[in-house]
Amino acid sequence: MNDSNLLGGQLLFAIFALATCLSAVAVVVSQTVVRMAFWLVISLGSTAALFFLADADFIGAAQLIIYVGGTLILLVFGVMLTASSPYLKIKSSPGETIIGGLLGLLFMFAVFSSLQGVEWPAPPTGDSAVTAGSPEGNTLRPLGLALLGARPDLDLHDGDTLSTGYLLPFEIVSVHLLVVLIGAAYLARAKRKSAAPAEGLES
Amino acid sequence: MIAGLQAYLLVGAVLFVCGVICMATKRNGIGVLMGVELVLNGANVNFIAFSKYTALGLDAQIFALFVIVLAAAEAAVALAIALNFYNNHLTIDVDKANRLKG
Amino acid sequence: MTGETLRNLLMTAWLLPLLGFAIEIFGGFWGSRKSRVAAWLAVACIATGFLCSASALVVWGNATGWRVIAHDEHHGDEHHGDEHHGDEHHGDEHHAADSDAHAAVNMKSRNDQATTIGMEPGNWVTTSVSADGNVADADHSHDAPTVYSGTLYRLATFGGLELTLDYYIDSLTLVMFTMVTFIATCIHLFAIGYMSDELTDEYVDHFAHLSDGHHVHRPGRFYRFFAFLSLFCFSMLGLVLAGNIFQVFIFWELVGICSFLLIGFYTERKSASDAANKAFIMNRVGDFGFLIGLMVLWTFFGTFKFGETTDLSGHVVEAGLFQMLPRSEGGDILLDEVSGEVLIGSMTAPNPENSSRTIPYSLLIVAGLGVFAGCIGKSAQFPLQTWLPDAMEGPTPVSALVHSATMVAAGVYLTGRFYPMFTQEVLLTIAYVGCITLFVAATIAVVATDIKKVLAYSTISQLGYMMLGLGVFGWGAGLFHLVTHAFFKSLMFLCSGSVIHGCHHEQEMPKMGGLRHKMPITAWTMLVGVVAISGLAIPGLVGLSSFFAFSGFHSKDAVVATALAFVEANPAHFLLFIVPLITAGITAFYMFRLWFYTFAGSPRDQHVYDHCHESPAIMTLPLLALSIFAAYCAWGGEQGPLYGLITGDQPAYIAHGIAGSVTLPGHDAVHEVHGTAGILAMLAAFSGTLVAWVLYGAGWINPGEIQKQLSGVHGFLINKWHFDELYDSVFMRPMHIVGKFCAWFDRTIFDGILHGAAKVTVVVSRWDRLFDETVVDGFVNVIGRATHSAGLSLKTIQTGNLRQYVMFIVAGVVALFAVVLTTFPG
Repeated sequence: MNDSNLLGGQLLFAIFALATCLSAVAVVVSQTVVRMAFWLVISLGSTAALFFLADADFIGAAQLIIYVGGTLILLVFGVMLTASSPYLKIKSSPGETIIGGLLGLLFMFAVFSSLQGVEWPAPPTGDSAVTAGSPEGNTLRPLGLALLGARPDLDLHDGDTLSTGYLLPFEIVSVHLLVVLIGAAYLARAKRKSAAPAEGLES
Repeated sequence: MIAGLQAYLLVGAVLFVCGVICMATKRNGIGVLMGVELVLNGANVNFIAFSKYTALGLDAQIFALFVIVLAAAEAAVALAIALNFYNNHLTIDVDKANRLKG
Repeated sequence: MTGETLRNLLMTAWLLPLLGFAIEIFGGFWGSRKSRVAAWLAVACIATGFLCSASALVVWGNATGWRVIAHDEHHGDEHHGDEHHGDEHHGDEHHAADSDAHAAVNMKSRNDQATTIGMEPGNWVTTSVSADGNVADADHSHDAPTVYSGTLYRLATFGGLELTLDYYIDSLTLVMFTMVTFIATCIHLFAIGYMSDELTDEYVDHFAHLSDGHHVHRPGRFYRFFAFLSLFCFSMLGLVLAGNIFQVFIFWELVGICSFLLIGFYTERKSASDAANKAFIMNRVGDFGFLIGLMVLWTFFGTFKFGETTDLSGHVVEAGLFQMLPRSEGGDILLDEVSGEVLIGSMTAPNPENSSRTIPYSLLIVAGLGVFAGCIGKSAQFPLQTWLPDAMEGPTPVSALVHSATMVAAGVYLTGRFYPMFTQEVLLTIAYVGCITLFVAATIAVVATDIKKVLAYSTISQLGYMMLGLGVFGWGAGLFHLVTHAFFKSLMFLCSGSVIHGCHHEQEMPKMGGLRHKMPITAWTMLVGVVAISGLAIPGLVGLSSFFAFSGFHSKDAVVATALAFVEANPAHFLLFIVPLITAGITAFYMFRLWFYTFAGSPRDQHVYDHCHESPAIMTLPLLALSIFAAYCAWGGEQGPLYGLITGDQPAYIAHGIAGSVTLPGHDAVHEVHGTAGILAMLAAFSGTLVAWVLYGAGWINPGEIQKQLSGVHGFLINKWHFDELYDSVFMRPMHIVGKFCAWFDRTIFDGILHGAAKVTVVVSRWDRLFDETVVDGFVNVIGRATHSAGLSLKTIQTGNLRQYVMFIVAGVVALFAVVLTTFPG
């Protein structure tokens, strides 16, 4: 990031960070699920913008596509499938809310204080190693290579000859996703015949 | 310096705390799920910040990517569980799911 | 080849009853108790066996040119007719190996005869020791044995000990085979009638009582009876055919178990099962000696075989037992003058390994006595004679077949078969044992009233005659009496069976009388047997005497004559002649007593008389057949064919007698005294008959009065010389005392120790239990209760509320932070 863009970058960061935080708080505060979902969309989208600002273009894109475009749609489906009435409100007791809020503040304070207490290392000088040889933030190619087991972004000449790629985790995650797909389908499928007597018994 | 590492971490912390509070206070199962998503996002923000400001570099981004993918999977399974729960209890109130109490 | 033919024929006769037994016992006849199929099957087996045996006899006769019979028609004395019999031998095998034969003769002792070895294809090795009339040995005037021996099957090999099934076929084997199979056939037929009351699904045993006093009801066992009979025939024939002493022992025991099974046939009767046990156990006593004899034989001779073993090329590789004992020209056993031991060595097959071996003379006696001990048990000789009268508990056909004609004769047969191995001392023992037995048994028979018991004691007595005959060197005489006795004793037993059957199982003679009117066939055939056993004949009638001299006359004559010759040579042993002579009279007395009691006079028990009846044809026909043989099987006496057949293969040294410390008479000596002995024996028999007629036939003197006057003697005899009491006090009482002591020892010492240990254990256990219940259980319970209460208290936190858990987590994290931050500030 050069100096000319510094101010714009700072501004954009401030805007999106504020949006992220405020909509997260709004998610907590909202009473209906639909509103919570809406605020969540805002919050996650703003996070994606923060990712772009942090030179992680591909992650930001993935955040937008997967989270905002996929997971949240899923959640909204869940909302619709489980809502027995429009704008269903399942209120917590005030005591719980207060305790929750207090605990949240305390937690926030604890995290913040530890955040302050850590001596963070200085950021790496010069060009970011991440984006070496490519336009700023364009990490698609190194990411793909890393997932295939190659690491062009690392200098391996100083004796570190071990592969530091992520081929195996990638494969594991792939299989994991497949298993999850099957498992989810299994869990969510309609079990009318066995469910009916079970309900009867419970009531 | 506003947009430094600590700023990002602060945003992540806020997301994280909001997610936890959301999990703790929402009686709606879907709301609890949303809290989980917030927590994961807070972690992701941290990862990306470390990617940019520390020597972690690309590894942090890959971690973030995995987190996103796993979050998606988790969302799918959790939603399936929520639907099952709803089918069995005709409500999504997690307070009803207290059969494991001692 | 003759040997092969004989072997095949006799094997058929031997194995057929085994096949019959297998079919009868496993053939499912228990499903049809009224079927006579099993009986006819048994009859078919044994009758075929008889035909085979008879054919074998004919084959053997043709092969030997009938020399044993033929010469006796021309010459009065057996040993005179022998010189010119070489020319009658035209069996092929004799010429084939003539040169070998003469070579062997020149090399070996003159006792030994030329050998001709015949070879056959296949694994079965046949040796024939042929009877060549020896031109080179002209003074050797006795016919040599014609023996076929070989191996049928190898059972097992233990080191140097080879257990095989051999065969040893000589004229004695053939005669025994024919005799056993013929008598067995007759008895099988008789038994079909006698055992017919077993042909029922519900047999009521009137002699067996249950504890509630009722009779025993059981299914009929007709098929089983015949299965046992078949098994017995198989065993007996195997015993006769056996070619080694161990095989004899095997079949010896098989015969014993058959006897056990058949005596205990009415197993529900306590008396029957007791008798079976007694017979079996007393035989074991004898068999113990037999085993000792076998051990001695094996240790010193290294073989059990009778005959020689040849290899495939026909050379003798191993000598048999009979060839191993060297005998001098006088027939005596050769002793090594230095050591006093007997050199063991084959006379036909020089075996370097054996040539240096010796056996102490004393152990040779032990071996002989041991084997004879087995014979004592099997043939019911003194002092093991008490089992045989009790064995009459079996059905009468069993008594006829097993306990008079064949099995008990096995002891005599073995004594005769094993003759070459007996020393003079053993022979003297045999003679005295026979002498004691024949007298003791005869005196008991005089007072017995049970018709079968009389016959049983008479059997023992006659077996004693046989043993006596063998013991005084009358090899032929003893075995001659064995065969004739088998015929007339089986006849008499069958007659008694017919009487018992007709009188509905009444066996007491005092209740009979006059039965000849009701059962004429039985009565007259019985009379034939009685005359035969008594040895009556009409003297002086040269032409007709043959018709009135029944078989027993000839055979007993032979025995008594041999005994007289023996006593003349050894005056110290005069009892060996006096006792059998007196006993001949007693024999005639008690046998005629039996006949007069049963068949003559007037009925004593009208009830029995009214209900008795003659037996059916299937029972009387065997009687008629047997009576013919009982009368005339010994036709011609010692010049007749039967005697010739039996002695055709007698051991070579016998004819001359042996001079030694005890002089054993040769045939010449016997012949000299034959006339005297015959007249004396006949006088004794006639006087016995006369006394019997006076007492029981004519009734001039009341036997009851004599009985009263001699009540002491009578009681002594009724109690069988107190043998049972003697054994009871000598063996049973001490055993009981030892047993009682053992029981006391067990109860007081062992049980005391055990009870003490048990009590200690109980006390220790109580304390252990107390410790367990208080300390161990207490400790465990405290832990359990603590855990339980902790769980109960912690349970309240486990609300099951998801959000609350999240709260707890957050609170925990916050608290952790607080702790960390306060503990490590900065």
